[in-house]
Order: sequence, then structure tokens, then C-alpha cells
Amino acid sequence: MNTDRRRNNAPAGGTTAPVFARTIREPGYLQSLRPSRSRGLNELRRIFLQTSIIPSASGSAYLEIPSSSAPVTLTLIPPTSSLKITASVQGPKPLPRSAPFSPSLLLTTTVKFAPFATRNRRGYIRDTTERDLGVHLETALRGVIIGERWPKSGVEVVVTILEGDEDGWWGDSGSEGSASGSGWGLLNVLAGCITVVSAAITDAGIDCVDVVTGGVAAIARTSDSGNSKVVARLLDPCPAEHKEIVAACAVAYLASRDEITEIWMKGDCGQDTDALTEGATHSAVGSLAVVKEVLLEALQAKFQGQLEASEGSLKRKVGDVDMTG
Amino acid sequence: MSLPALALPGQLLGHTDKYLPGPGTHIHEQQIYASIAGPVLSSPSPSRSAQTTSNASTKSKLVPLLSISRPPNTTSDPGILGTGSGGGAPILPEVDSVVLARITRLGPRFATCEILVINSTVCREAFQGQIRREDIRATEKDKIKIEESFRVGDLVRGTVISLGDQSNYYVATDRNEFGVVMARSEEGRLMYPVSWREFRDPVTGRGESRKAAKPF
Repeated sequence: MNTDRRRNNAPAGGTTAPVFARTIREPGYLQSLRPSRSRGLNELRRIFLQTSIIPSASGSAYLEIPSSSAPVTLTLIPPTSSLKITASVQGPKPLPRSAPFSPSLLLTTTVKFAPFATRNRRGYIRDTTERDLGVHLETALRGVIIGERWPKSGVEVVVTILEGDEDGWWGDSGSEGSASGSGWGLLNVLAGCITVVSAAITDAGIDCVDVVTGGVAAIARTSDSGNSKVVARLLDPCPAEHKEIVAACAVAYLASRDEITEIWMKGDCGQDTDALTEGATHSAVGSLAVVKEVLLEALQAKFQGQLEASEGSLKRKVGDVDMTG
Repeated sequence: MSLPALALPGQLLGHTDKYLPGPGTHIHEQQIYASIAGPVLSSPSPSRSAQTTSNASTKSKLVPLLSISRPPNTTSDPGILGTGSGGGAPILPEVDSVVLARITRLGPRFATCEILVINSTVCREAFQGQIRREDIRATEKDKIKIEESFRVGDLVRGTVISLGDQSNYYVATDRNEFGVVMARSEEGRLMYPVSWREFRDPVTGRGESRKAAKPF
């Protein structure tokens, strides 16, 4: 058994949401707490993004996608989880002595869930899911970074997920088990990682072909009217808000080149692969708008002095022309 | 098409017929795109005028060089926890860049150094460099002795001649203005240069041999 023997570990089963007596007395009560999607099918959750949050890193960013469902007053348990990710970029720095010569940039990505990031407590050592996410993220970034500009150097991208999207609603976890364990939340986490790392890399000043952003689209089954099941295609799914997700897809998308550098599809999407992928790219374009806005704002703050100086010289030139004329 | 004041990676800047791609840009399908975020500068690059006149037959007029400047140099800001903690710029040594390096080890064929400053920009982290015996000076290369040129701890100005092997950049000091700029005597006092091959201790007056850099 591959366990962490150096620390006091949490129980293997993890922690579960408290069960109140009322949920057992009244069978309908638990279902009344179920969150539902209040935004449109093509509407994304709001995104908070900030760059340059870690002074010692050459580039860093923080992304938060808060829960869009209205907070419930009946219970203390939040209806859905929110997504909180930090990314830091170390480098470009010289390679360690043992590393062989590399004519281009060596990229290392590390994705780690904080132990408290999900409802089930995570370990301190990276598990397979986290390593898998790291590989996906690396693939997404490989296609964007112009590595030849930085010979003989390495860049470390370290992503910490402070709160991850869950795979389903907490109320479903014990009873049905259909939503949990399917990993729908991971797609959202991956898309968030891609977006936040892209902002951090731009902040670090590493040459990129484009600003890459992540997006997710899903096909969900809505069973409101008895047995008749309606399949709906939606952008930026919050797994807790949907009883059953059939398929989902996360992409890393370069908007100005119309290229996809990474794609991860899950579930049974039938004939609709292209439509699902396209939906995910639409979602990525939505988050690109936020990233661009944030980066431009940060740039303006960073280069304020320089821009003012150039404007001043322009004005002076204009003044000169006025005087001679 | 007018140039934007600030560009983000992937932003279209212009056609290659109208501009030359400079630092911070890349070409994709005959168009120049930004590859880092920053203010766009367009300069008629006088250094390239000779090159452009040579192919003036194909291009009727001088095309301006497009580049994107990196954040201003933060040499005055050492970072919140001292050097190596956010101060300095992400810069790599390139061939022909002038560097300041500290000698860390002397060998029979080469001296090892760590590159601290590249083109008057302080590095975030030191780069491992090597000064081979034959690159120390340009004349009488066969008579050079490492221990008569450098000592451990000397600060040396040099130029990068090659990106080198897996771990070392190759640095040369084979010009008058390159060589030791700061050296301490055996007693640990800062010495002053008296000739191209000697430094002198101000108190004892004892001379030590170094490959001295010509003072400006």
C-alpha cells in the first residue's frame, strides 16, 4: 500500500458532510436543498483573476470561480463548491547540473490539490489524478510556449488547487453514486488550471504564441418532468447543479489561431463530439475575455511610467511642431 | 492599420512587408504577432540600415522594426527576501553579451565562474560559466597560466562566446577591456590594477598577477 508514513493522515474514507436528523425524518427535505442551474445554458460562471500575487515568483496568478447558486439559508453546507486555483511560474532558470543539454525550454508542471481542497480529504503526496492533471496541463502549454527562445533553461509551473470543483452534489454522494467518482469536476479544474497558468506565464514574460484558455462544455440529462429525459448541451457545467451529466469535454484553445492544444473528453457523447468540442471552445473564448482584461490592466499598471514617458515625449514633439509653426 | 499601445501574446501587429520582427514578436503565416505582453515599440532601427540597403532592390523603403519591450529593469529592487527572491530579470546569457562573473574554481585547463550580471542586468539566478585557458587573452596563448590570471573570488568582466555544453556557458576575456575588475589580495584587501597583468595591494605594496581589465 502506497501510503504517506511521515505524517498524521486523515481517515482514509475522508470526511463527509454532516447528516442532520431532519434529512432522515423528512425524505423530501434533502432534495429541496438541491441546487439548480440559475444561469443560461450558454452563460459562464463569473471569474475572478489576478496576476502577480507571489512576489518571489517570476509570474503568478490566482483564479476564483465562485459558486453561482444562491446561498441556502436552511443549512450551513454551501450548495455547490467554488473553484480556487493559484499558479506560480519559476524561471526561466538554469538547468540543474545533471540535466543534459537542451536547445529549448524545459517545462515542468506540478499540479497539487491542497489537502482541504475537496470534500474527500487529499493526501500530501501527489496521487495519480494530480499527476494526470499535470500531464494534461503540460500538453496544453507545450503548444503555446515558444521554447526555442530560452535555450538551456527550465521553467517550473506549480499549480495549487485550494478548492476544487466536486464531481456531483454532496447530497447524492451516499445514495445514488452516479455522479460521484465520475470525475466531472476534474474537467473544470483542468480548464481553470489552463486559464490561470496562461495568465501566470504571460505575467512571467515567457514567449507564447497566443493566450491559451481552458473551457468546458457538457451534455446533461434533466429529468424534471417525470421520466421524460431531456438532454441539454451547456457551457461551463457546475456538476453539483446537474443530476446527471452524460458527457463533458475540456479544451485548451488558442482563440486567435483557432487551434486546440489539449482536449479531454469523458462520458458518452454519441454523435455529438464536434458540437461538444465547439461548445468547449466557446466557453474558452468566454474566459479569454476575462484573462485579456486582467492582463491589460496589470500591464498598464506595470508600464505606467514608461507609457507616460513616451506620451510625454510625444507631447513635447507636438509642442515643438507648434512652436516652429 | 495602426499599432496598439499595449499588446498581448497572439495579437496581430502587422504584415511582414511593412515591418521587421524584433524581440518579443514572432511570425505566423507572413504576419507579425506579439509573443509577450508589453508596450509595442516601432523603431526605424539604424543598426539594420546597412542590411536593408543591401536588399534595397527588393524593398523600396526602410521598414521599421517592431518590438515589444519587457518590464523595466528592476536592478534597484532586490526582492522582498534579498537577491534571488523576485528581484532581477528573467534573462539568459547570449553569445556576445557582456557579463560580470565571479571566479569560483580554478582548474588546470579552465576557471569556473558564476555569471551574475548580463548586459548590466542583474540575473535572478547565477549561471555556471567557464573560462578556458586559451580564451583568457588573445596573445601568447600558449604561455597563459590560469593561476597567474585569476584567483577564486575575483570579479571578472567577459563576453559569452558560446552557450557551451550541458552545464557551462563559455566566457572569454581576450580583449583589453575584459579581465579582472575587482580582486582582493592574500590579506583580503581590495587591490588596484597597475598594468594589464598586475594588481597591487594598497597597504603592503605587494603585486599579484592577474589578467586585468582596462579601466574605462
